[in-house]
Amino acid sequence: MAYNLEVINLTKNYQDFQLKKINIRLPKGKIIGLIGENGSGKTTTIKAILNLMTYDKGNIKIFDKDSRDLTKIDREHIGVVLDDSFFSPILNVNDINKLMKNFYHNWNEKLYYDTIKKFKIPCNKPLKEFSSGMKMKIKVLCAIAHEPKLLILDEPTNGLDPIFRYEIIELFNNFVSNGENSILMTTHITSDLEHLADEVIFIDDGNIILDVSKEKIDNEYGIVELLEDNFIKIKKEDYLKCLKYKNECYILVNPKHDFQKKYSKLKIRKPTLEELMLLLVKGE
Amino acid sequence: MNTIKGLLTKDLYVFRNFKSNIIFSIFMFIFLITVGSIRREIFTFGSILFLIFFGMNSISSFSYDENADSDKYLLSLPITRKEIVLSKYLFVFLNSFVSLIIGIFISFVITILVRGKIDNLGDSLRICLIAFTSVSFLMCANVPCIYKWGVEKGRMQSVVIPALFIFLLGIFGSLLLLLFPGFYLNIDLLYLFKISPYICLTLNILIYVISYLISYKIFLNKTI
Repeated sequence: MAYNLEVINLTKNYQDFQLKKINIRLPKGKIIGLIGENGSGKTTTIKAILNLMTYDKGNIKIFDKDSRDLTKIDREHIGVVLDDSFFSPILNVNDINKLMKNFYHNWNEKLYYDTIKKFKIPCNKPLKEFSSGMKMKIKVLCAIAHEPKLLILDEPTNGLDPIFRYEIIELFNNFVSNGENSILMTTHITSDLEHLADEVIFIDDGNIILDVSKEKIDNEYGIVELLEDNFIKIKKEDYLKCLKYKNECYILVNPKHDFQKKYSKLKIRKPTLEELMLLLVKGE
Repeated sequence: MNTIKGLLTKDLYVFRNFKSNIIFSIFMFIFLITVGSIRREIFTFGSILFLIFFGMNSISSFSYDENADSDKYLLSLPITRKEIVLSKYLFVFLNSFVSLIIGIFISFVITILVRGKIDNLGDSLRICLIAFTSVSFLMCANVPCIYKWGVEKGRMQSVVIPALFIFLLGIFGSLLLLLFPGFYLNIDLLYLFKISPYICLTLNILIYVISYLISYKIFLNKTI
């Protein structure tokens, strides 16, 4: 299989935090969602991929090349959205277009302005006068207007209203539809990934605790809600994690069909990514 | 080359933010130099004042970049660390140089209009060039400090470091006189002043190159 991005055994040691053997393989035409709590290591992974920091062990390949050996032309095929970093807020949409034309050979001015028009973004107002959602729209637009092959997005749906989140999900789905482009995105809003990601990677305290396809989550994982009195009847080896809330218990099961055979009277439903993350991180 | 052009344009946009302040300051400057020139010739003073007032404004671009954490974003684009540092130095140099030229031009025009002539224009220009080199020294001490400690802390350090440099130079001179009481350096100051444009040019190149190399090394090892 051809990959646009490969992260192999990425390890980084800090005094108070360690990123431990992170592995990500992003095939062409696919979207991977990287999810986890604040401080779990998502942004550190993104920074390592973008060469914004050094790492102790491991290897990162982008378009089959070591990420540290990428030429400027290679890097023109990558689009990036960073949650906390962009141009100075005194710039406006027109200024950004002028700058980007200097940075990218294939900056698509028409695509940029067409989308600006579609998103109803004023051209002469400085960014500092925009809402955070509006700023994020421009960041996303800057990441795609040079028609990259790989998008690396750190919290791209942060601060967006549901309508624009829907629009942006559609935009990302179109982006990968040619079978050549790929997206790696981190997000707190796990519901966005429900409709978008082909694969989900859960990261906790610098470790990957689950790397699974969305299809597998839908087909094999299940959530059972039951009262604490009924929970004691379930054997420990029959479920993965359990989370108690008030007098109810939520248990995560895999494979759900085996569980269903054993406990035919219990009702199993598909877990949302949020529930899965909560149970994997906080469950016992 | 396009990347450097883009980065310089980005920094130039910062000035647009205080466009009205700049225009007001220029008018104030013109007024002061005109009034000052009535009593005595202040061509040199005017040129240097303009250079100091406007030539050090380029530091604001570091401040704006730091507030928006722009370096992180820029490095995610097809831009290298070398290009970011190089563009900053070009911006700092161009800003000081253009300020010097405008300062000299305005002061020249005003002096000619008010007083009809300028005495010792060559000497005045030499002094302006020495002032320009001093500004270069201050700026080039400032930039590596900003890369190392950030804008706020870097500004403090950039005062401390040249002061320390001058202090150490003083100590060295004093020690030299103490250890070798008969030491006498035979310098022809007039000759030095005459060849000062060449000295200034050499010093400027040296200062900028050394400072750039230090800043680049700091920025290269920096986790963004």
